[in-house]
Amino acid sequence: MNQNTDLLTLRSVSKSYGTVPVLHDIDLSIRDGEFLTVLGPSGSGKTTVLRLIGGLEPLTSGEIRLDGQDIGRMPINRRPFNTVFQDYALFPHLTVSGNVGYGLSVRHIQRKEIARRVAEALELVQLGRFADRFPAQLSGGQRQRVALARALICQPRLILLDEPLAALDLELRRQMQEFLKSIQREIKTTFLFVTHDQEEAIGMADRICVMEAGHIRQLGTPHDLYYKPNCEFVARFFGENNLVAGKLGPIQGELRSIETPLGHLICSISDQPHLKVAAEGAGAYAAFRPEALHLADAKDTDNRFSGTISDMAFAGSSTVVTIAAGADNAAQRLRLRVPSRVDGSALKSGEAVSLSFAPHEGHLVLA
Amino acid sequence: MSALPRLSTIFLAAITTLVALLLYSPLFVPIVSSFFTISHGNVDWSSPTLSTYVALAENHDILVALRTTLIVGVCTVILSVVSGTLLALYYHGRRSGRSLLQFIIFLPFLMPPIISGLALLIFFREIGLERSLLTVVIGHTVFVLAIVYRTVLMRLQSMSRTLIEASYDLGATGWQTFWRIILPNLSSAIVGGAILAFALSFDETMITILVTGTQSTLPVRLWAMMRLGFSPDINALVALILMFTVLLCVLAARFLIPRQVATERT
Repeated sequence: MNQNTDLLTLRSVSKSYGTVPVLHDIDLSIRDGEFLTVLGPSGSGKTTVLRLIGGLEPLTSGEIRLDGQDIGRMPINRRPFNTVFQDYALFPHLTVSGNVGYGLSVRHIQRKEIARRVAEALELVQLGRFADRFPAQLSGGQRQRVALARALICQPRLILLDEPLAALDLELRRQMQEFLKSIQREIKTTFLFVTHDQEEAIGMADRICVMEAGHIRQLGTPHDLYYKPNCEFVARFFGENNLVAGKLGPIQGELRSIETPLGHLICSISDQPHLKVAAEGAGAYAAFRPEALHLADAKDTDNRFSGTISDMAFAGSSTVVTIAAGADNAAQRLRLRVPSRVDGSALKSGEAVSLSFAPHEGHLVLA
Repeated sequence: MSALPRLSTIFLAAITTLVALLLYSPLFVPIVSSFFTISHGNVDWSSPTLSTYVALAENHDILVALRTTLIVGVCTVILSVVSGTLLALYYHGRRSGRSLLQFIIFLPFLMPPIISGLALLIFFREIGLERSLLTVVIGHTVFVLAIVYRTVLMRLQSMSRTLIEASYDLGATGWQTFWRIILPNLSSAIVGGAILAFALSFDETMITILVTGTQSTLPVRLWAMMRLGFSPDINALVALILMFTVLLCVLAARFLIPRQVATERT
């Protein structure tokens, strides 16, 4: 398994249902052995990407290449991929081992061999004791693991997971996230995981592909997406963010200034060549995370501005402070996260504060 | 209900019991009287007996009619199950033409049987098909097809589409998917539909009278016996048919109503 070679490549793939386009010219490369998450709001086309790869839907145009060979027209049952469905799609009339062994038995593999591999797969998902149960006798998390075992027993090149955790409650979802990740490391198979939950995406993925309205907006590591979003959509969708509209100013090495209602701000543009070539005066946003913003002290000379606390919301380990800033302290709403304290925060609603963020913790996105 | 005063609850219960008695007690009269002999038009209540059943078992005509009924029933079930299931499979997921097909299938079931029977009779005469057990089987199949089609289609519609996708996804061919996934999930609906079809065929009279040749089924035989006069073995026959039909309906319900599987959580 070499994470640098491409396993599967989508080239200008489009999909329409009747006259309604759902995917526009998608280009995507999935690396061998990686955990790739496709993240997007509902209606972004993320599930369609998965169904096209799995062969559950026909392509409208474009090609899908596996090891350089076009498989866009290959029938679903000949593709070396297996899917974990959102509703698990376990066969209700078969036992757990019947379900898990199905993929092998339709290929006429010997009974003994099937029994051995089913036992192995059930061991891997820790369901050995449940081999003779029926799906209706299992809990949601157990069904989920049966679906996973059933998909991986055929030793597919790629496992497609369609929001498999959506139906589980929060605690179980966290456990399953860790479980999926550990299984993926163990069997070293490529996972393509579709979700609308960005927290899930950050926690599991090697790389994340953010989709919106049938387009891929950005593909990168969770770290890249969080700190170097390449567009307004990703900056707003992926994690909490403060965006302040303005006009680009001159470049100073790895930093660039932007004129905003909060004044003259300086943000990092390292590793983002498109921000170096953008013309001065072009519309853009200064973006900085709630945890990067802090109450300014005497040392902070850059990116300093004032505002009024309009609201404070306790959120467990941290407290979210909403600040009105800009012209007349009203034009701009910003969020600031401060660690919670048992005796309450020193901040009060209505208080005027001075705020700042470090230039290397701010970033720019083009409008 | 708890809001109602106690008195009105009792009143409602009394009314319900009375209505039920009036409607359903006639059904029990032949059953009860089948165990007593009738002499000079009066029922002799003093000595219960199984003699009517013995007489029935020795009645050659009745036994022949019973055999005919069973043959017709089995043939009707086979024909209607196969064609009803195929129609349901073919039209499942198809939007165009489904409501028209449904209408056509349901027409003979909803029309007065005499109309269906006459239409079939005219049709058989036009194409020169001699009236026989074959025409009876065709008549019954046309009549019961709606039930089988509907039960199978309902089950198909409640079956998740992803089950079929999952089967293909795991490498199965269309044929394997049909035999190993679709059919097993339809089986209880098919069995339930078949039992209902058999019960309907067993009791069918009107169409049978019109399209049968020289042979008669049990209900037709019963009809003929009634015209000759009220004899005690009629009571026995009615009681038997009634019990058999009830048994079939209970059996069909067992297959058609989804069983609740206890979910164990560990």
